[in-house]
Amino acid sequence: MKKKIALLLSLVMIVGLFAACGSGTKSGKGNGSAKGGKITFWTLSLSPTFDDYLHGVIKDFESQHAGVKVNWQDVPFDQAEQRTLTAASGGNLADVINLNTDFMKKLAAKGALVDMDKAAADVKDDYFEGAWQAGKVGDTAYALPWYLTSGALIYNPEILKKAGFDAPPKTDEEAWKMSEAIHEKTGAYGSTLSSVHIYLPSNGVPIVAKDGKKAAFNTPRALEIFKFLKQEYDKGLIPDEVVLDQVNMPEWYAQEKLAWWSTGPQLFRQVKDLSPEVYDKSDAFAAIVGSEGRRHMSIMNIAVSSKSKHQDEAVEFAKFITNADNQLNFSKTTPVLPSIVEATKDEFFTKGADSDDVAEKGRYYSVKQLETSYDMLAPVENVTQVNDAINEEFRKVLLEDKDPQKALDDAEAEVNKLLQ
Amino acid sequence: MYKAHHAWLFLAIPGILLLVFTVIPTVAALFLSFTNYNVFSPVDWVGLANYKQLIHDSNFWSAMKNTLTYWVLVTPALTILSIFLAVLVNRKMKGVSVYRLIYYFPVLVSVVVTAMLWKWMFQEDGIMNYLLSIFNIAPAKWLTSKSMVMPSLAIVTIWQGLGYYMLFYLAGLQSISEELYEAADLEGAGFWKKQFYITFPLLRPVIFFVVVVSTMSAFKEFTMMLTMTKGGPIGSSKTVVYMIYEKAFEQLDMGYASAISFALFLIILVLTLINQKFLDKDNQA
Repeated sequence: MKKKIALLLSLVMIVGLFAACGSGTKSGKGNGSAKGGKITFWTLSLSPTFDDYLHGVIKDFESQHAGVKVNWQDVPFDQAEQRTLTAASGGNLADVINLNTDFMKKLAAKGALVDMDKAAADVKDDYFEGAWQAGKVGDTAYALPWYLTSGALIYNPEILKKAGFDAPPKTDEEAWKMSEAIHEKTGAYGSTLSSVHIYLPSNGVPIVAKDGKKAAFNTPRALEIFKFLKQEYDKGLIPDEVVLDQVNMPEWYAQEKLAWWSTGPQLFRQVKDLSPEVYDKSDAFAAIVGSEGRRHMSIMNIAVSSKSKHQDEAVEFAKFITNADNQLNFSKTTPVLPSIVEATKDEFFTKGADSDDVAEKGRYYSVKQLETSYDMLAPVENVTQVNDAINEEFRKVLLEDKDPQKALDDAEAEVNKLLQ
Repeated sequence: MYKAHHAWLFLAIPGILLLVFTVIPTVAALFLSFTNYNVFSPVDWVGLANYKQLIHDSNFWSAMKNTLTYWVLVTPALTILSIFLAVLVNRKMKGVSVYRLIYYFPVLVSVVVTAMLWKWMFQEDGIMNYLLSIFNIAPAKWLTSKSMVMPSLAIVTIWQGLGYYMLFYLAGLQSISEELYEAADLEGAGFWKKQFYITFPLLRPVIFFVVVVSTMSAFKEFTMMLTMTKGGPIGSSKTVVYMIYEKAFEQLDMGYASAISFALFLIILVLTLINQKFLDKDNQA
């Protein structure tokens, strides 16, 4: 009896083993040539807040494309990667997927997404050039840009006044000079940073070469920046907790430990939730720029699964949801920005200049900067690991007194290994 | 009357759950550790390549060192301090159940909430440094210093785990006959002699259990590092399981992550066998 049970259990395990890894060997390709059908659309943390908007868009699309049904599913942002991996391993990945740039590049590199340079060539020029670039891995774009956020500055005029300033800084250079006076006179911090993978490109140091095959950041300018930041750290202007990314920035700003906070205007409301008094006394301004005079933009993308059985319909839906009208309507319901040039000319954005509401004013400033903004993340599949390698060496310079040139050399060697 | 097949039926459901959610995934992961599986591409067999990579991976050995440091700080403290807590609450005094609840309460708080709470307390201008300032001690870099980060994380684990292991010891203590302590009193034995000659020897099976369970928990710790330090400063709190998480879910290198998981499994198995040799004398052949 015992032997029979043992045999049965072994058989079940073996069958389970093949089932578990079987889906990985499936190479089914969906060419979506059949007209009509059901497509699944995944978004990141947009429900229930934007239920009305998204149902409206879906209804419009279905009415214009007879026979196509869109099944919308919202995924919490922090579960997105897990759910995507689980769905992909079970062969159930959604047809149209809303992805952040990092994860989108990872999937694109594994061949999971449709080439949008080809599939959406007819609408490519409608998008901001900087936004379209965000979808690239190497020379090919694998996603359409959807809504985006670009930074603005929320600042505390009271802290600035105590330190003798009546306006916030415009450039990094100005900001660091002001930070020293602010910290000395008020104890609060001005400019701080926990990473340099955006700071370097915004100050004239590219992360990777144009072909994406080599590190390009080990330059005299980068050395100058590392030495300067080490100097600022030694003066006590960059706290360890910020360097190690252990700080919740809106909390520190709400506690008046920070004179300003550079972030997307849609996040200003976090300060309001934590401290309405600090929010009320705050004002907004254009984001601080580096020596290049340009800002980073963070983009949410819409991609199509290369295994979709209704690829044509999925691409049509991706183009529809990211078109000018739909993006403008979306931006009116939440302080994010459209990636389509035409939509940003609407009065909705231009009227924020004199607004009393900090978030609205912040949105006005971030739209103004859109034309000169671009996604500063390196267009490579393992962009997160590349950034981590550089930031780790930067932290060693600050916290362990590592020689800045050695740090840059070590980071370059590590990144070159990653890009092979 | 109950027959053998009744027992099998009752065992079937948990058995099937164990099979589906533990045994089969474990065997599948073992298979995947010999491949380059990344979810999206077809699976390719790579033999021992992942294990060879593991042996030469300095990040893995660094993570193993961090994990061992954490284990050495946490397990002895949990094993020994919980006994004293259990002895303290093993009395028939009024309100003792309130004390038992207070000591057990941290166990009920989720790890993420505990981590966020302690992260706030460990801030440079947080409560812990405020308490130090009362005694004129300079503020400590609890989570921002490479040498202090693991002891700080160990403090949180010990705070949360004491009550849990206290309960096991309490159950063990209550099975020790009072007559033994009375006889010791008659012989003139003090508190410590009674613990060394009666309590600890009779609690040996529970001690073995606590050491094994707290060892396994220490080796699996990851949530706290993810929430409080993200493996920093500069990788000094990155444990082996944190590395597995990074490899599997951030870098999509499932094959290599599976290999690391099995290496960890073997290490924990060896430690458990060592524990058994020294502590589980009752069950040894």
